[in-house]
Amino acid sequence: MEVSWLHLIPLLPLAGAAVCGLLGKWLPKAWLYAIALVTVLLSFCIGLTGFLRLPEEVPIFHEVAFNWFSAGSLHVDMGFLFDRLSGALTLVVTGVGFLIHVYSVGYMDEDPGYWRYFAYLNLFIAAMLTLVLGDNLVAMFVGWEGVGLCSYLLIGFWYTDEEKAYAGRKAFVVNRIGDVGFLIGIFVLFNATGSVSFAQLGVAPLTLATASIAALCLFIGAIGKSAQLPLYVWLPDAMAGPTPVSALIHAATMVTAGVYMVARMSHLYTSAPGVLALVALVGALTALWAALIGTAQNDIKRVLAYSTVSQLGFMFIGVGVGAFFAGTMHLVTHAFFKACLFLGSGAVIHGLAGEQDLRRMGGLRKYMPQTAWTFAVATVAISGIFPISGFFSKDEILAQALHTKAYDFLTLGPGGPHLTSLGTILYLVGSFTALITSFYMWRCYFLAFEGEYRGPEGVHPHESPGIMTSPLWILAALSVLSLVIGLPEPWVRGSFLEHLNWEHFTGRLFSPPRGGPPAGFSPWPGYLVALAIGWAGFGLAWLLYAPARAASGDDRFAALFPRLRNAFANKFWVDEFYDWLVVRPLWSFARGLWRIFDATIIDGLFINGSAQLVAWVAALARRFQNGDVQRYAAVTALGVLALVYAFLLRSSP
Amino acid sequence: MSWLEAHLLTLVIFLPSAGAVLVALLPRSEGGQHKGVAFIFSLATFLASIPLWTSFHSGPARFSFEQKSEWAPSLGFSYHVGLDGVALLLFMLTALLGPIVVLSSWGYIRSRVKEYALALLLLETAMLGTFAALDLVLFYVFWEAMLIPMYLLIGVWGSERRIYAAVKFFLFTFIGSVLMLLAIFWLWSNSGAPGHRTFDYVALLEQGALPAERQKWLFLAFALAFAIKVPMWPLHTWLPDAHTEAPASGSIILAGVLLKMGTFGFIRYAMPLFPSAANQWAPAIAVLGVIGIIYGSLMCMAQTDLKRLIAYSSVAHLGFVMLGLSALTAEAVSGAVLQMVNHGISTGALFLMVGILYERTHTRELAAYGGVARVAPAMAAAFVVITLSSIGLPGTNGFVGEFLILLGTFTAKGMGSWTIGTAEFSKGITLAVLAASGVILGAVYMLWVVQRVFFGPERKAASHGMADLNLREWFTVAPLLLAIVWIGLAPQPLLDAMRRPVDEFIERVGRPQRAPPTAPGNKE
Repeated sequence: MEVSWLHLIPLLPLAGAAVCGLLGKWLPKAWLYAIALVTVLLSFCIGLTGFLRLPEEVPIFHEVAFNWFSAGSLHVDMGFLFDRLSGALTLVVTGVGFLIHVYSVGYMDEDPGYWRYFAYLNLFIAAMLTLVLGDNLVAMFVGWEGVGLCSYLLIGFWYTDEEKAYAGRKAFVVNRIGDVGFLIGIFVLFNATGSVSFAQLGVAPLTLATASIAALCLFIGAIGKSAQLPLYVWLPDAMAGPTPVSALIHAATMVTAGVYMVARMSHLYTSAPGVLALVALVGALTALWAALIGTAQNDIKRVLAYSTVSQLGFMFIGVGVGAFFAGTMHLVTHAFFKACLFLGSGAVIHGLAGEQDLRRMGGLRKYMPQTAWTFAVATVAISGIFPISGFFSKDEILAQALHTKAYDFLTLGPGGPHLTSLGTILYLVGSFTALITSFYMWRCYFLAFEGEYRGPEGVHPHESPGIMTSPLWILAALSVLSLVIGLPEPWVRGSFLEHLNWEHFTGRLFSPPRGGPPAGFSPWPGYLVALAIGWAGFGLAWLLYAPARAASGDDRFAALFPRLRNAFANKFWVDEFYDWLVVRPLWSFARGLWRIFDATIIDGLFINGSAQLVAWVAALARRFQNGDVQRYAAVTALGVLALVYAFLLRSSP
Repeated sequence: MSWLEAHLLTLVIFLPSAGAVLVALLPRSEGGQHKGVAFIFSLATFLASIPLWTSFHSGPARFSFEQKSEWAPSLGFSYHVGLDGVALLLFMLTALLGPIVVLSSWGYIRSRVKEYALALLLLETAMLGTFAALDLVLFYVFWEAMLIPMYLLIGVWGSERRIYAAVKFFLFTFIGSVLMLLAIFWLWSNSGAPGHRTFDYVALLEQGALPAERQKWLFLAFALAFAIKVPMWPLHTWLPDAHTEAPASGSIILAGVLLKMGTFGFIRYAMPLFPSAANQWAPAIAVLGVIGIIYGSLMCMAQTDLKRLIAYSSVAHLGFVMLGLSALTAEAVSGAVLQMVNHGISTGALFLMVGILYERTHTRELAAYGGVARVAPAMAAAFVVITLSSIGLPGTNGFVGEFLILLGTFTAKGMGSWTIGTAEFSKGITLAVLAASGVILGAVYMLWVVQRVFFGPERKAASHGMADLNLREWFTVAPLLLAIVWIGLAPQPLLDAMRRPVDEFIERVGRPQRAPPTAPGNKE
């Protein structure tokens, strides 16, 4: 259905950002907060109204706000598409975004740059909504790079710190590598179909080769934005930004954009089963890789950052096995519990006067019970312990991986072995990762909240004000309640819960993978295994980091696997490796090229060299014009003689 | 058509010269009246040019506001001016930058103010005339007329190595234009029987294309003159020196307008006059463009001098423009023309900001900067916005241009393909993918600059405190910031204006075989 109010959803926060950014310095604080919060809340309300009124038959609202640019056969509209997927994500972005705005009022109140902060935050919401609601790839790309800009600005928010400014720049540049992939993906699709709009791309017939190249290029964009191997390195450093930003941008919303994009382009990805398998593989490897690193980090935010990378990997397993609903469902539940975890860590940091090191926490449950309880609830969720949301959404992904038929037609090279067992491998890797996830998250919880207080002397840990704890409670509640969207469909069939069931809800949105969706299977075996895994992780964490002796837990861990833990703690030296492989060589090459080629060869040898040559010839010529009349006369006489001689030679027979 | 309407274009072109006459009549003095006159006249020029934009219609005539007066009919040249959409955009850009340029070095230029104001005003007339000229002699006169004031701007009001830079600028440009002049004479002598020969661009264009083998050398002569001006790799080395030594106003004109003369020369003269040669050489030009993008970006990463860095970034940006022009698709050429305007705005603005920094610190050394954002936040914010435009972030003007160029190049099937071994690579796709790496490198060096200058702890240049933008500087920066966002969000009016000339350009150059083989009067 064509409507005319969709543009308001991103426009309101954009207007808020403009007001806060241009006038914020001079506005009274209360006004600024009101503008920043109300615009997001209004967007949420519009989104909610639209969501509830989505027509049953064709659940789509569409609006073309204006023709952005056209040239040749290219026609790009600033258009918005509100269907069940983008609608739900609109609610997540504005809903979680609003809660984080509320929390930020408490968190950033003391900061002199608060007005700048809220301007960026609102701009981010606007960009993210553009990304989610864009009805074509170019509009999506506007949001895609827009959120990257806000991420850059917010990571480097405290820009006087060189390291933080660097982290922001690193995030932007690494994302740009992915963005170029995205751009080329757009070009491939436009070249093949003559269109960039989802509506037309969703039905366009594509050859396998075209679909594969386009899907691969777009996936490179997703790898950058959603911090997957090998471009995940910016996300842990992005923790340099204010913690609410980490919660909103670097956990709940922006980083999930890649998953959203793959789901949005499900038609393309199911047309390219090889790339689909790659998506799942990259997801699985990233999930495992980041989870391993997460076991040995001491900065509470870094633990959460690696867990985000890992959870995004799970989402990619989901979409990569063709179960787009499972990947996006985990996206939604993860947004709630990870935002809750990050805001909880922010409350801890706030209450400890800036301390982020898990080794100098401990026993905080006594001082900040609300933070501890909500953090525990979210930890249960992410560990996949029955019955909180993460259990259902994560297990759905693993079950779909185990039973997938997306790769049935796929062989490794022409005539090579069939890849039917890939799903099983993904399942095993995913399950093992789930075990580690549960372990490191409980380690984090125990180190921070249980045992004895080991924090800095003179700091009096305290609970955060209500404006910060209330978002924690709401997010914890959402982490629990969102389990309803993950209940297996057969359990809710016929009841009112059926409408909330994510699989049912998004049913017609996604193209099925080539082999079709997995045949009906019982969820019970998977649930039992998942249950065991979740508790096993908890048990392992308890063994090593039990409350009474949490402080020495890392030593016990290190004693068990000294080398491995060292590798985890050093993040597998990936940053150092990239530095050695790409960063340093590139800068050295640039300097060398300038000194040797540009300055010496082109400019020195050719340009100034030829000028020198001219000067040298001129100097030579000058010798003949030195004003010495006698020499002129001598030369003239010699010339005359030569001429006479020549004439004589010619005239003589 | 009223008299004013018929002569509007000429009036706008020569309005700055009228200012120059007034400046010449004023007594030499220490006061600001010379600069004041220059400002008033350049502002008046801009205001007078606005009707050109609002009343421009891509109607039946190829050129709007056309005016033709005989000058030397027996020799075949006339005062013939007019604007098509492409020229109009660059004309408007020049008019917009005029008053900004005058304001930019307001406090910095303290010696020979009268001559300075004269040079600026005469330069503006020459630039406007170059875009509007429709007669090759007239074009050449304006083209060369730009050279002298610019030479003086660098040589008189520049910094330490100004003489070297000015001479280098002059020699480079002059060598190129001499060849072009020869080619112009050749064109004239082959345009008809003695007594009926013409320098008129429109007439020459309508005579149809020359035989292909003739076109080659003529094209190269024109192309060399323009390639130096762009500048295309490897003819770029005059640019960093000229920019580094020029005062801010000179740099803004150089980056904002003068470099566009080169790309404009390609789209207006070199390529349409010699379509089959242009078509044949297009892939080579595209390759040079891509080299310029990557090479220029790498050069930026190696610089320690802020102005030199921005100068090299022009090499990269103009590489995009040349790539777009030579891809010969409607998307890419539109993007290239748009990017000419964008580059004038964003790189002009960058040089403006560097000038503002330099006026306060008297250093261009990157290492001396750091932490400026804390003491001059508005300056930092403006610089960041300009940076975003420069690296082509969506929402700014730079994105639309770069996107169109890359997309148009990617889909350029007319370029053919390269064969390496058994593999066949479409030239368009290969070049677009390589050029896209410039999108990454652009972010690498520009954000590095932002961090180096504005973020981190306060270093030498910022530590003594630094005044934020004052009102005069706001007046110079704000219009450019507005243009960045405005074109970023609503580029369509610009694209509409250029549609017809771009289509005709592609019709002529993209499919040269369709042009009539030899028109009468082309015989020797």
